[in-house]
Amino acid sequence: MRDIADILKDWEPVIGLEIHTELTTLNTKMFCSCRLSHDDEPNTNVCPVCLGMPGALPVPNRAAIQSIVLAGLSTNCQIMKHSMFYRKNYFYPDMAKNFQTTQGPVAFCMGGWLDVEVGANGAKERLDDGEVERAKDGSYTAHIGITRIHMEEDAAKMVHVGGAEGRIGGADHSLIDYNRCGTPLIELVTEPDLRSPEEARLFMEKLRQIFLTIGISDCSMESGSMRCDGNISLRRRGTEKFGTRCEMKNLNSFKNLHDALEYEIRRQAEVLEEGGVVYQETRHWDVNARRTIVMRTKETADDYRLFPEPDMVPFDLSEEFVEEVRTRLPELPDQRRDRYVEAYGLKRADAAQLAGDPKLSAFFDEAVAGTQGKLSQSVANVILNELMGYLNAEGHSIASTSITPAQIRSLAELLSSDAISSNQGREVFALMAASGDDPAHIVDERGMRQVSDTSALEPVVDEVIANCPDQVAQYKGGNTKVVGYLVGQCMKASKGKGNPKLFNQLLCAKLAD
Amino acid sequence: MAFDIDSLSAAQIAAGVAAGDFSAREVAQAALANVESREGDVHAFLEVSSELALQAADAIDAKRAAGEQLPPMAGVPCAFKDNMHLVGTHCTCASRMLENYQSTFTATAVQRMLDAGCIPVGKTNMDEFAFGSSTESSAFGPTCNPRDLGCVPGGSSGGSAAAVAAGMTTVTLGSDTGGSIRQPAAFCGVVGMKPTYGMVSRYGVVAFGSSLDQVGPFGRTVEDVALSMNALAGRDLRDCTSQPWNTDFLAHLHDGVAGKRIGVIPSLTHAEGVSAEVSEAIEAAAANLASAGAELVEVELPNAAAAISAYYVLAPCEAFSNLARFDGVRYGHQCADPRDLADMSSRSRAEGFGPEVKRRIMLGAYLLSSGVYDTYYYPAQQVRALITQDYKNAFQKVDAVLMPSAPFTAFKFGELSNPTQMYMADMFTVPLNIAGNCGVSVPVGLGRETGRPVGAQLIGPAFADDQLLRIAATLQGFYPELPVSKDFAKGEQR
Repeated sequence: MRDIADILKDWEPVIGLEIHTELTTLNTKMFCSCRLSHDDEPNTNVCPVCLGMPGALPVPNRAAIQSIVLAGLSTNCQIMKHSMFYRKNYFYPDMAKNFQTTQGPVAFCMGGWLDVEVGANGAKERLDDGEVERAKDGSYTAHIGITRIHMEEDAAKMVHVGGAEGRIGGADHSLIDYNRCGTPLIELVTEPDLRSPEEARLFMEKLRQIFLTIGISDCSMESGSMRCDGNISLRRRGTEKFGTRCEMKNLNSFKNLHDALEYEIRRQAEVLEEGGVVYQETRHWDVNARRTIVMRTKETADDYRLFPEPDMVPFDLSEEFVEEVRTRLPELPDQRRDRYVEAYGLKRADAAQLAGDPKLSAFFDEAVAGTQGKLSQSVANVILNELMGYLNAEGHSIASTSITPAQIRSLAELLSSDAISSNQGREVFALMAASGDDPAHIVDERGMRQVSDTSALEPVVDEVIANCPDQVAQYKGGNTKVVGYLVGQCMKASKGKGNPKLFNQLLCAKLAD
Repeated sequence: MAFDIDSLSAAQIAAGVAAGDFSAREVAQAALANVESREGDVHAFLEVSSELALQAADAIDAKRAAGEQLPPMAGVPCAFKDNMHLVGTHCTCASRMLENYQSTFTATAVQRMLDAGCIPVGKTNMDEFAFGSSTESSAFGPTCNPRDLGCVPGGSSGGSAAAVAAGMTTVTLGSDTGGSIRQPAAFCGVVGMKPTYGMVSRYGVVAFGSSLDQVGPFGRTVEDVALSMNALAGRDLRDCTSQPWNTDFLAHLHDGVAGKRIGVIPSLTHAEGVSAEVSEAIEAAAANLASAGAELVEVELPNAAAAISAYYVLAPCEAFSNLARFDGVRYGHQCADPRDLADMSSRSRAEGFGPEVKRRIMLGAYLLSSGVYDTYYYPAQQVRALITQDYKNAFQKVDAVLMPSAPFTAFKFGELSNPTQMYMADMFTVPLNIAGNCGVSVPVGLGRETGRPVGAQLIGPAFADDQLLRIAATLQGFYPELPVSKDFAKGEQR
């Protein structure tokens, strides 16, 4: 297959996403009062409604509608006051009624957008087509339209026993767990505005950050509470008409989403260049084989016989309802990032990283409160470098760790005031994580506080200069790198307590005389 | 104390039980004895719940013995159409598909009747899944009209109408999607009401056409129906289309019709296919109301003629989807030795459903399919809006509209063998379900030619159900009460 960069010269990828998110933070299902929990014994959170027993009727979950309105408000959507549910009819036992209750042409949320910032590296995945303004390093912002977000219910979980790869074909029998059946689910559909797998990945990442921030879901791609399908087609550069698209399934991680789309660009380019035809079909990303395989073709697609759900009257959301939801809108990741940059002078990338995760940003907010300038950035550094590295290595999360924002703040203060060196900082962090002690206490107890008093350091520097005539001569001869050796000697002489930055400054000053 | 249950109204029974003139158990036993002696001729029931009836009766007698106040329908025998759940009974919908299905919860409407003190005598026969106008499509055999055993009782709530006409219960519940309460009420010479859509909870009633279905009561008198409505009406959190209701149906029931404006539509009363005896009876009914002080006003329902067409698009579409759950997977009939999932679903359905059910499912599946939807479903919805507006316009001028409940009196078994002919039996009842307002069928004597009961239909605006019953009560007062039919001439059966 051709190299992607080469393919992009001739072909333009057109990508749209369909993202399903289970509203896992609600207490009950979409149309009944069964508990929302997939982990319980199979078929324990069920009732006549979600089991589709004759005579049962759906009653919409008001909190779920508040959640989808919140999702719409956080993604610049128009909230439709008047909308209704529809029935999508298909025969499959994962939906007990043999129809899924979903929405029709008008969803609760219509016509939104999100901007994604594509960094210099990822920007290479999109040909500089002149359609987006690029920075010097190539980075750009892509404006992605959101067609709609609609409300629906999730299906039951099926386990096919005895067949190949857990599929129903050839299975001996199938088990159905209706605990998941009726879970409130929102589906976001983007416009076909995405032009690279990286843009798709960043969009998904940003949406996940937003949904986590507004608290409507745990957004776990691993467990399937957030799922993404990608539609992709290619068109020849310079043409308007969309090519035939394929729908990618099983994109259960950011990496899979990216890689499947990238594979599909190569595959479709190859098919088209060989004079072949891309068929409209659903393809499955095979993670192990690292390729997409056909699941079903358009010819076998179902006719869902969509029609208005007659068991519920259309919704007329009141102004008060929408405004009440609007008051619950928290600070969103982009706003938070900008605040971090403005209020604390953080580097934009660091600010974005902290702002993207609500738990992380809450932790940061607590640690950084009342600080400014160097100390603020130091707090950010300790969290992003030391803390995150530690949590990843230990398999902990920000929510489960016993390390407190006050400890991080204490460590950052020691670092930003040069009381300890950055090497010492790592050591103190490790001791703090192991013992739970306050960093200042650790430093004092172990006498680690570095000396930053020039008058105390000067005699040490003089002594080293006197003891190392060869290196001094080399330095004066133009080999300024040798100063590192001299700093090392100073550190040794001060038993590690001198501030290496100050030693460096003093040495340079004295040797320049 | 000796009493004749056949001559007692629901209110009289409740009063008698409360006063201790007779016990609830005696009433229950009398009702069950009537079932025992008359059911063989009529076949109104699919299940008789003697044990539940006696238990409920004993509970009421115990309450009375304890000095507690009795509910308003204490001791009144009641039966329920077999598409409503009552724990302790089956709910078959008169279909092989649910032949062995036992209810796991009780329908709200049923529970409200029980809470009002009613005694559950059993579950009544119906057209399979309520698809029909004669009760002939029941998988368990038809019900005979107690007024003439050779005739159908109407449908689909034929068993509920017949049970009341034959005095096997005092009141019953039915469901009305396109006339399934009012038309059998007319055929059997009893009162049957389809309340405004949203007046009575549908929770626990097996759905046919969800946007059209409404539960309502049968009784021999308007007063019994009003008493039942007091129990039934009101918001149910389990049915999000149900509405609150706090008005006493009995409070102004006998206040008469002086000053009320009654709409009449001569073109409908004399429409093609309406028998002369029905037209005459309706004109006489109008004259009676006028003599009681009502003003007769000619109104128009210009789109009424399109109602049947729209109905037979909308109802099958909803039915197709509502009946999709009967696939043999979790409950209901399951075929033997299924090869795979598709085979199990299709064969279970092929074996479990009768021909009329299959016809309507096929119709709905076709009408909703892509490319066809825009041609039928969408225009049908537009017709629905027009008909709803027709009624709104009419109710600007009048308090109620009077028309026949059915174009003819009860017909002989097998007489309407063509489905579209059968569908025309609903021409006067269907528009109401489409518009969602309330209607009641009142017996207005026997047809001059056939000698079978004629029903006059009164139609009222949405949520004016109490006002409608007030007019119905006045109208019924002009006619001698049709006695319970119990002496069946043998050999007159089909």
